[in-house]
Amino acid sequence: MNFPDILASLIHDMKNSLGLVINTIDDLGEELHVQENPKLGTLQHEARRLNSNLITLLSLYKIDKGQLTTNIEEIDVEQFLYEISVDNQATANNMGITISYESEEGLVGYFDEWLMRGVINSLIGNGLRYSASQILLHAEFRDDYLVLSIDDDGNGFPQSMIEAQSAQQQKKPEQGETQLGHYFASLVAHMHSNGEREGFIKLANNQRLGGGSFSLWLP
Amino acid sequence: MPQKPSGKHSLQTRKLKENFVFFKPGPLENRLYLVVDDFGDMRSMIKNMLMACGVRDIKLARNGSEAIEQMEQERFDVVLCDYNLGTGRDGQQVLEEAKYRHLLGLGSVFVMVTAENTRDMVMGAVEYEPDSYLTKPFNKDFLKTRLEKLIAKKHNLLVIEEAVEKRNYSKAVAILDEKIAAKPPNCNELRKIKGNILVNSGKLTEARALYQEVLAIRELPWARLGLGKCDYLIQNYQQAIDEFQRIKSQNPNYTPAYDWLAKSHKRANQLSEAENILKQAVSISPKAVPRQQLLGEIALVNQHQEIAESAFTKAVQHGRHSVYKHPSNYANLARVTADNHDGASALLVLKQIDLDFNNDPKADFYQASAESLIHEAMGNSDLARASLGKAAELQKSFDQSEDSDCAIELAKTYKNFGMEEESVELLKGAILNNHTDEELMDEIKLTISSLEMDEQTLGTIDSIREEVLTLNRKGVELAKSGQLDEAAKLLKETSTRMPANRTVNLNIALVLLMSMEREGANPNMIDEIKGYLARVAKADPNNSTLQKLYGRLKIMMAKTAD
Repeated sequence: MNFPDILASLIHDMKNSLGLVINTIDDLGEELHVQENPKLGTLQHEARRLNSNLITLLSLYKIDKGQLTTNIEEIDVEQFLYEISVDNQATANNMGITISYESEEGLVGYFDEWLMRGVINSLIGNGLRYSASQILLHAEFRDDYLVLSIDDDGNGFPQSMIEAQSAQQQKKPEQGETQLGHYFASLVAHMHSNGEREGFIKLANNQRLGGGSFSLWLP
Repeated sequence: MPQKPSGKHSLQTRKLKENFVFFKPGPLENRLYLVVDDFGDMRSMIKNMLMACGVRDIKLARNGSEAIEQMEQERFDVVLCDYNLGTGRDGQQVLEEAKYRHLLGLGSVFVMVTAENTRDMVMGAVEYEPDSYLTKPFNKDFLKTRLEKLIAKKHNLLVIEEAVEKRNYSKAVAILDEKIAAKPPNCNELRKIKGNILVNSGKLTEARALYQEVLAIRELPWARLGLGKCDYLIQNYQQAIDEFQRIKSQNPNYTPAYDWLAKSHKRANQLSEAENILKQAVSISPKAVPRQQLLGEIALVNQHQEIAESAFTKAVQHGRHSVYKHPSNYANLARVTADNHDGASALLVLKQIDLDFNNDPKADFYQASAESLIHEAMGNSDLARASLGKAAELQKSFDQSEDSDCAIELAKTYKNFGMEEESVELLKGAILNNHTDEELMDEIKLTISSLEMDEQTLGTIDSIREEVLTLNRKGVELAKSGQLDEAAKLLKETSTRMPANRTVNLNIALVLLMSMEREGANPNMIDEIKGYLARVAKADPNNSTLQKLYGRLKIMMAKTAD
């Protein structure tokens, strides 16, 4: 057994423990019966970020071994965003942030639900750190792409990141987990293709909520 | 609950929730739940989540056996089952058994709970799919939304499932058309269900049009698969192979395409291609028993003993707790073990049948049949003859249409003992009784070639089939010209030679019905017709002619009641 395999198997084990930790923290939150609790929020948020990072690690490991393939299904996008916002709501509330979503009625998307959920959860995890009070999930059909965006009302991405994206779409990250998250999102977007067209990501500032806006474009 | 967005979008959010309330107050609460997990903390975690959602009726099971026992006792509305259940059945096997044995109601929801590393494993299963997958960890709010959606969806499809269950396919399609016309977000899901119903009820032209309509908008594997199935069913195997190949190259993890590709290659007599495809499929998803079984059977014909041994070993091993457990896999594994290793190890494999099957005559038959050959090879002639006698005795007691696989198995054994005549007789009987079953005819052709029998000795399959066709045609012509008694006499004579032949049985029932319709209802004749139809219903309950004849019989029965 080589080191990456050992690492992957240990990560699975860590994820099982972490799963119980996350559920137990949620339980504690229920028992406390308070609207907003920053300490609980931090616990939930960090535990969920750990979980997202482990999923990213496992997925990158599989991509590296050529084992990760997409399972493209037809998705009711509104329901998809609804589930994701419900999933993140308790954590966000404890941090004093509201999560909402917007979607065109009856919008249908074609993507790997599980992979895309992982990507968006990890982007929300980032958003919760930089947002002032709101996060908005948005879905629309534009230029023949399904565009899923995550907007916040924070200070936005540094100008350097926005400028860098056009030059080096898929360049491996140099440092920092935000970039790693974006790198993973970009890989996953590219794995979604329809005929000749592939998916991609876009970073922008001052969109719907005035802060950063990360969007996934899926053909 | 998430914040409702302001402005034009808030409407939809509200509408979504009203839908849930619309069909039944408290869509989650008043239902019966089963939580299956081998891990105590997880069981109580999920139970607490459900209770926090207002659910009161929750049963728990620690493993697959307990889950099945509970499902035998009660009809659960929702089953939340972990894939990984330690030793014994896994979650997929629980699902397969529950569906196969109809332990779940039509409106029941089955959710498979997985960890990341088991997700791919579950996805490659052959026939039965859960209603949804949930990846750990998930929280209460997420579980609630997901279950609300699933229950609403099931409720929406219930009328269709009920119609399908009663084999009222046209009604099911009519309901689907009405729903599709409203263009809901799950429109393609409805089209997928409609396609399946059309294919299963033999409406291939309509099915093809539907799949092409979907594919014109977007390349979707299930639609391409449906198109390929239509080609397969009209015996256009090359076209079918092209369709399935296309899915496989675009979606390398979509295992149904592999299974159909292998089937098509097999029908097109391209056995090494079929073996290759199945080898790829089992490397993606090794636990599917029918796939391992087919691989083993084809590898045997191709004389790839090592591959056959590995495939039958896995078919036996993964089949132990599965509804796909079949004694032929044990028999084949034993024979291939005798070839690759020695007789003593082969007999050990057969011993396993005693442990894994409980007084099942078919299992005893396969055991005896394989045992006879292995004993013979080991020089135990007396034991070999005794086993062969036992196998022959058991085979005679089986249904000749349903259990034609046993006839073929025994024919192979006879041939290996040099009893050519008995072997040919059995194969002839299998053809006479099942002359319209194309796949069985293939099986017999394969057997003939693998036994190095001359097709001539069989009087050729085609001429035997021709004989049955001629007799049937004669009977029908007599009936058409009004000579109903003569028709019935000829067909009944034919039937004594091939009692399980579906066409003959259906034709006798038809002629008797025609004579009652002409001369009035007659209770004795009604019983007689019921007998002939029952022979068909046992082997082929979905047969459309059978359903029509049952309809005409009902009218006659109503007349005797008057």
